[in-house]
Amino acid sequence: MIDLFSTPSLVTIVLAAVALFIPIIDALNKEKGSKNKIYSGISFGALVLALIIVIVRVVSSKTLPGLSLASNGVITDDVFGAFFSIAFILVSIMVAVSSWSYMKKKSNHAAYYSLILLSSIGMILIGYSTDFVMLLVSWELMSIPTYALAAFSKKDPVSNEAAIKYFLFGALSTAIIILAMGIVYGLSGTTNIYDSVIALTTLKSSLMPFGLLAAGLFIAGFGFKMGLVPFHMWLPDTYSGSPITIATLLAAGTKKAGFAAAIRVIIIGLIALNVHWSFVLAIIAIFTMTVGNLGALTQKSVPRMLAYSSLAQAGYILIGLAVAPYAAAGLAASLFHIMNHAVMISAAFIAATAVIVVISGYSIEKFKGLGYRMPITAIAMTIALLALAGIPPLNGFWSKLLLFGAAIDSGHQVWWGPYLAIAGVLNSALSLGYYAWIIRKMYFEEGENRVRQKEPKSIVAVLLFAIGFMVILGIWYGPVLNFATMASPGDLMQLIHIK
Amino acid sequence: MNQPSDFLIISVILISIGIYGLVVKRNALRLIFSIELIANAVNLTLVAFSRMVSNPQGQIFVLFSIAISAAEVAVGLGIIVIAYRFYKDIDITEYKNLKN
Repeated sequence: MIDLFSTPSLVTIVLAAVALFIPIIDALNKEKGSKNKIYSGISFGALVLALIIVIVRVVSSKTLPGLSLASNGVITDDVFGAFFSIAFILVSIMVAVSSWSYMKKKSNHAAYYSLILLSSIGMILIGYSTDFVMLLVSWELMSIPTYALAAFSKKDPVSNEAAIKYFLFGALSTAIIILAMGIVYGLSGTTNIYDSVIALTTLKSSLMPFGLLAAGLFIAGFGFKMGLVPFHMWLPDTYSGSPITIATLLAAGTKKAGFAAAIRVIIIGLIALNVHWSFVLAIIAIFTMTVGNLGALTQKSVPRMLAYSSLAQAGYILIGLAVAPYAAAGLAASLFHIMNHAVMISAAFIAATAVIVVISGYSIEKFKGLGYRMPITAIAMTIALLALAGIPPLNGFWSKLLLFGAAIDSGHQVWWGPYLAIAGVLNSALSLGYYAWIIRKMYFEEGENRVRQKEPKSIVAVLLFAIGFMVILGIWYGPVLNFATMASPGDLMQLIHIK
Repeated sequence: MNQPSDFLIISVILISIGIYGLVVKRNALRLIFSIELIANAVNLTLVAFSRMVSNPQGQIFVLFSIAISAAEVAVGLGIIVIAYRFYKDIDITEYKNLKN
């Protein structure tokens, strides 16, 4: 059933071979001394190879479907999955390379890189899966390594506490997802996502409450990972407590994987049930944005502030999902913002990693005078924060513009569409409050001294790449936007009723 | 006691017990028990549904789900063992390092 030469299989084989190979050579190798550099290099190579496979496949094949729902097997090969794969692989590459510097003084390098690779396989497969069983397996392949990674600093009680909170909520969310999948299976008699959605369109009205219950449980289960508001309690603690490279992976990777699963299941399922229920998503979006931005305003530690900021950004992405049934551009705008946010938040977190490696402190007070002490880190942080806030020539501006534009467009059909855009704009203005505060600390306040510190080389490389991505995409956003439009299904109603 | 609906009622009761445990108990192991109780009640639901719609996909799903939750609990117990080394206690109300 599974075509060995389809993109997801090839990428899985490449990454899994390397992920299993690293711990084996580590066990066989008796030599003393840290192999951090070698493992980081091998992981980087494998991830780049995977990225090339995905890109070549998208560029070379003209017949690749946009978002293919119907599939005989459990995975499909489409542009939607490729789009998410590229975002996830970029994040994993940035994490693996910046770990070169971060993990230097720490132990257990083989397990660390191997778990990062396994987790990225899980994320990639979520984007491609068309069956509930596959979705569950890849969801757990993504989650279980990150539980271990969050607790990776064994000597640090904070990391452990972060991991316990993450694990308890993560395990509960898995149970909720399985329950939702079970209810859908009971209603439709199949575990294939597309077939069950088709079965749901002809659901008897007496069984309708169960369908809506399943949709609600899916929102709750995926919402734990996406960090939507009633399910976000663990998120700031985990992002600020776990090792900061792992916080990058969580904020930029697993959060986006939640959106991939949500688009595959919730959006399409909700349309099949009753399209008016996407009003619920709109309300969650508004609460998520507001709680995230208000929470960030009072934080003293930078990772914690970035955690709240990523919470707010999940709200912006959710705007596109909520208006998707009414405005054709909604999902494309969401996808575009997902790609941008993956790079922006990674850049911000990795800049904070550089500060932790060199100055060793999480507090915002350590960022005083950073503009003199670590110029490249400071400029990367500044550009990332401005892009997150949506300042015009940067990539974050365009995706936010498209999101709010789609929300206003949907005003033709639903009364609440434009209000989402208003809430988004007000929240962006609010968010500039704390983004600008960090920038002010870095450039306009005197630090301990003005001595220029040596910045870790690998982190500088990642930050330069991120700066390039954010600036170039800000000026020339066409290709990625086209790619996002190709990956999004366009008119959702047609997709379900005619196909 | 032979209808699929009976099994569904049992699994709803088990899920309720699990949620009660999650809300009331503060011992990390009990929390894991509660989550496992919910997960297993869900597995029971799936098997009951599988019998109701009379195809085996649900049972295959349950096999995957059992294997996955075993892996998940293994990782979780490892994290709790490390927590015990720090605090000599597994009461989650002790874990307050991250409150600002």
